[in-house]
Order: sequence, then C-alpha cells, then structure tokens
Amino acid sequence: MIEEEVKIINDSGLHTRPAATIVKLASRYKSDFFIIKDGLSINGKSIIGVMTLAAAKGSKLILRFDGVDEQEALKEIKSYFERGFDEL
Amino acid sequence: MKQFKNQNLARKENISVEFFYHNAKERFNLKLLSDQVGFDRLIIEQNLHRPGLALAGFVELFSFSRVQVFGNTEMKYLQKLSSKQRAEVLTRLFDFEIPCIIITDKNKPFPEILNLANEKKIPVFGSHYPTTKLIYLVGDFLDDQFAPRMSVHGSFVDVYGVGMLFMGKSGVGKSEVALDLVERGHRLVADDVVILTKKGEGILLGSGTDMIKHFMEVRGIGIIDVRSMFGIRAIRFQKRLEVVIELEIWDDGQEYTRTGLEDSSVDVCGIDIPHVKLPIIPGKNITVISEVIALNYLLKHYGYDPAKVLQKRLLNKIDRNSQNMDRVIDYFEHDFE
Repeated sequence: MIEEEVKIINDSGLHTRPAATIVKLASRYKSDFFIIKDGLSINGKSIIGVMTLAAAKGSKLILRFDGVDEQEALKEIKSYFERGFDEL
Repeated sequence: MKQFKNQNLARKENISVEFFYHNAKERFNLKLLSDQVGFDRLIIEQNLHRPGLALAGFVELFSFSRVQVFGNTEMKYLQKLSSKQRAEVLTRLFDFEIPCIIITDKNKPFPEILNLANEKKIPVFGSHYPTTKLIYLVGDFLDDQFAPRMSVHGSFVDVYGVGMLFMGKSGVGKSEVALDLVERGHRLVADDVVILTKKGEGILLGSGTDMIKHFMEVRGIGIIDVRSMFGIRAIRFQKRLEVVIELEIWDDGQEYTRTGLEDSSVDVCGIDIPHVKLPIIPGKNITVISEVIALNYLLKHYGYDPAKVLQKRLLNKIDRNSQNMDRVIDYFEHDFE
C-alpha cells in the first residue's frame, strides 16, 4: 500500500469533469484506490464518491493505492493533480 | 470472525458552543440567558455533569470540560447562601474552563451567575425542561454528534424493512442491484458512499451524504436521481444496518453456504452484523435472492429458522428409522388433475 498527499491547484476545484477523468484513469489499474479528505475515505473508482469530496482549490487530499500496479497508478493520477486537471 | 475493513473510522473531536446552540435551541427550547459570549468554546465530551459537589467546594476530579447542568438541587443550594457566599462558590466554578452552563426547570439565574458568565465569557442557557429530561435529550444529541462514523463503498437499500448493505469491488454491479430493487418497490438509502454511524450499543445507522443524497451512477448511463425518477416512495434517509451482502464473481475455489445452519457475521465497528457472500453467476437473479435473504432474515427474527426446522425433521426421521420416502400428502389419491 502506498499513500501520497496532493493539493488541488486549479481555480474551480475537483468538479465533475476532473472527477470523471480521475475515475477513468483509476479504473485502468487493478489496484484499490481510495481518496481521503478530513478523515473521510471514499473509493476513487466511483464518480459519486469522488464528487462527494467537493474539494475546493487549496484542499489537501491523500491518495492511497493498494495492489499490484500501485506505483504506476499513483504516478499517473498524481501527475493529473499536479497539472491542475489540465486547467491551468 | 471476519473483520470489516474499518480503516476510516472517524469521530468528531469537538463541537463549538455556537454549533450546539444553533442546533439545540429549538429542539430543547434553550434560551440564551447570558450575553452572547464564549460561543467559540468547544464541547469535547458527550457526557453532561451536575456540579453539585463542585459548588459545595469539592473540586478535585471536577469534570469541568463537560456541559454543566444546574438543576433544582444546585439552584436551591445557591439560594440558601448569602449573596457574598454565592459569588464566592460561583467564582470558584467559573474559574474552570467550562464550555457552557444550562439551567433547567424554568429556574431563574442569579445575577451573580450572569455577571460571572459575561465576565469569564462562559455562556449560560436556560430551559423549561426538567433536569432528567434535559439530560436525556441533550445527552442523546451529543451522543449522536460524537458517535463514531465511517464511510463505506457500497449500496444501501431497505428491502421489506431490512437494511441491506451491498458491498463488492467496483463494477461488480452493486448499483444495478440497488436500482433493480428500487424498481421492485424497495427503498434506496444511499449509493456509492454510505455513512455508518454507531448508535448506542449494537446499532449501526446507515445514511447517505448531504450532497449526494439519492443520486447514483449507473455504468453506461451516467448520473441519475432516484428521487425524481421514482418518487418519494423509492427513497429513505436512514436505516438500521441489518445484513451485509458481499457480491463477488464466482470463484471455483471458494466454498459457499449451503444449509445456512451456521450464521456467518462480520464485525463492523465492534458490532456483529449478519453477512452473506453471494457469488455472481450467469442466470442468477441477485435482486430476487436479495429479497429472499431479507424475508429469511425476518422469518428468523420472528423465530422461524428453516434450516433448523428441516434439521429437526431429519433427526426425527433418523430416530424413527423409517425406510421409505413418503409423498408429502396422500389425500388426493383419486384426484388425477
């Protein structure tokens, strides 16, 4: 299991489009994927779950992967957060 | 016993007096007696405390971090004191970091209490409820606020009044089963993100989140709103968790329950919940099986356990050592229909 903290840096936050992209990216990997915000942990492969976070600009989230391809999955999704969901 | 993955158990650390007053004022008929001071003070415990001994002078082990309740006893005691003594004992009490004080049973606050409250910035509320009733109500409210909560990934449906939580890997078909159950007249509590709250001993309440409510995602369609689509009869806001159903792709190596004589359960936040592992195979209607599980749960709950009944019948037959296999009934011998 690996974990890493990421920050939301785009202005409109984690809205529907990036949420859908995250779920799409995560679903390509076998590893379990959880996103944790304020102690609440949700399944990162569920669009409704990711939208529940309602994460605004500046929020910090923990990405947790567990499985055979956790390294690759973390790398790709972390990079998507770091690119500000391609909205910068 | 199987352990539920409760890695994300959370509990509120504190609530502010402002939050408490805002949520409690109408429910418990609380009135603010002091000025609006100390609303940023934090309540960190669900228990309440009656400071009788502290007023009488014994302040060792004084649970000052709890909400303090002044009932008839406390007020009567204070009334018996001279104004000077009263100010003295109250000052000793107000020197502690008390979150807030509630005076019950329509008792009028002494001016000394109000002066100290405003000076030390400790809010004082009044309620017309008798002390025992107020302690019960406020205790229940705080219990709920401080209850351990966890979020789980699954679908939660009320099937014939039985709270069923469907769990399983992403894409195994939890939402589809929930939708199918709703279509058959059962009620959706939450999909995808289910919040479980521990209520008292042995009870877990499941509900959705305030943002998502009864929206759900169906693969291939996208997001739908069950409430506007199926109406008010198709939803409910909370339900006690009674059965956990784990959906999984059929695995030849796994053994599945055949008789139902051994009850399988799962430990969720320290509470045993009946647990059924359902393998998914082509041609198997999970919705109907879920209804059957719910009905069987109800039957068992009302004292009828089919597996045990059949077992008893079998033992009886073995005891009688009867050889032939009889037909179920033989009244209709000449009825050839």
